[in-house]
Amino acid sequence: MDALGLIREFLGERLSVEPDRVVPEAELARLGVDSLMLLELMFKFEDRFGLEIPSNRGSPRTVGEVVTLIGGLRGAPR
Amino acid sequence: MARSRVAITGLGLVSPYGAGLDDFFTRLLAGESAVELLETADEPRPLSIPFVRCAGFDPDAALGKPLAGMMDRFAQLAMTAAFAAWDDAGLARAADDDDREGWGVCWGTALGGTLAYERGYRELWQQGRERLSPLTVVLGMNNAANSQVSIQFGLGGPSMSYTVACASSAIAIGEAFRRIRGGEAEVMVAGGSDVPQAYAVARAWEALRVMAHADRASAASACRPFSADRRGLVLGEGAAALVLEDWEHALARGARIHGEIVGYGTNCDHSHLVRPDVSGQIKAIRMTLEDAGLAAEEIDYVNAHGTATAEGDPVEAAALKSVFGMRAVQLPVSATKSMHGHQLGAAGAIEAIVTVLALRKRAIPPTANLDRVDPACTGLDHVTVARHRVPMRAALSNSFAFGGSNAVLAFLSVMH
Repeated sequence: MDALGLIREFLGERLSVEPDRVVPEAELARLGVDSLMLLELMFKFEDRFGLEIPSNRGSPRTVGEVVTLIGGLRGAPR
Repeated sequence: MARSRVAITGLGLVSPYGAGLDDFFTRLLAGESAVELLETADEPRPLSIPFVRCAGFDPDAALGKPLAGMMDRFAQLAMTAAFAAWDDAGLARAADDDDREGWGVCWGTALGGTLAYERGYRELWQQGRERLSPLTVVLGMNNAANSQVSIQFGLGGPSMSYTVACASSAIAIGEAFRRIRGGEAEVMVAGGSDVPQAYAVARAWEALRVMAHADRASAASACRPFSADRRGLVLGEGAAALVLEDWEHALARGARIHGEIVGYGTNCDHSHLVRPDVSGQIKAIRMTLEDAGLAAEEIDYVNAHGTATAEGDPVEAAALKSVFGMRAVQLPVSATKSMHGHQLGAAGAIEAIVTVLALRKRAIPPTANLDRVDPACTGLDHVTVARHRVPMRAALSNSFAFGGSNAVLAFLSVMH
């Protein structure tokens, strides 16, 4: 599963957000994601993709920013 | 000091019988036990204990997925009971018309979000995970329930949790009552919730040797307060909430008033952590009568703490006999834990609701399974079969906690 797919799965499960609303330009806050839920989402990425997201990366604002953040970490040598 | 009268305008609970408040009370009147054998698959030794579950409770259906996902079970139960009480009080969910800045919540819980932490331990120690969900703190904290209630109803006044073992929610109700009576708040949500089925919690209670044993067939009759053959208490999960309201405020908005809360007394035995002290209980009952301005002769019913432990029941019986004197033999007493179990921090709120409904419906639910009264518990009018059409004006509800904290609440019927 790619990053966008995982965000869609998570938002569908937690907030019943329709997948077609989860597009790169969508703002997380508008989809109902608050700071706690963003932490949950990051946790889920770490779990599923075996990543460690450094805590100094700042908070992504849009779905696309999350995808970029995760993409960068997945591509990076571990 | 001017004192406001305090109306009870909303009642709500998550019933172990599955349906609503009226069904809950009807089943208690019928002497129907909600106790079943709880059997788990836990390692290293599964639980097999008589227990009261809210088996039909579906948090996602009751609260919606987004809200339910932000709460541990004790808060999910709390929020559901609070919604029920709020709707029952005829108050709107959103604060559109009224100023709720001074309204608040007093919530009782002995264990809080223990299940969230237990899940954490399981993940770390059994499943070898290295990290926990970032929600664990906000799910596990004891004040999660009252905070969620404040948020959902937009209440800007104090939002507090009371952890006083088995007296938690009686104390929460009493403290909320005092705030309204003293003019500090117009409306308070008060109640309690607990989920003692956490594996380590249940095992810890077993180790204390105060829990009744049972198999599937005998589970329903395992809790036998005041009975000569009682075998100990039966734990249960649950939640109950009351909306307490300034009398004039309730009248002004045309609210239906279930009953009046008129007295509250709380103190500490200050002698032993688990051995109850008769003099402490006597003082608590007398404090409550004095606070209510009621004479002992005026009390028509007592909902006993009555947990069915070997030590507790005779002490409570002795305290009641001491306070009520010659009249004790004619004082109707029942321990409804025989049917709904002991919900720890929620028990006081569940029994407060039972007491209010008894006054309102003029019907006294029985102590189930009380075939032969322990000689150490005689001298009271033990109600063993429901009584209907009983003229009643005033009633007490007792809650006596480990740690020695006692709390007694006094209620008046509004139909006298």
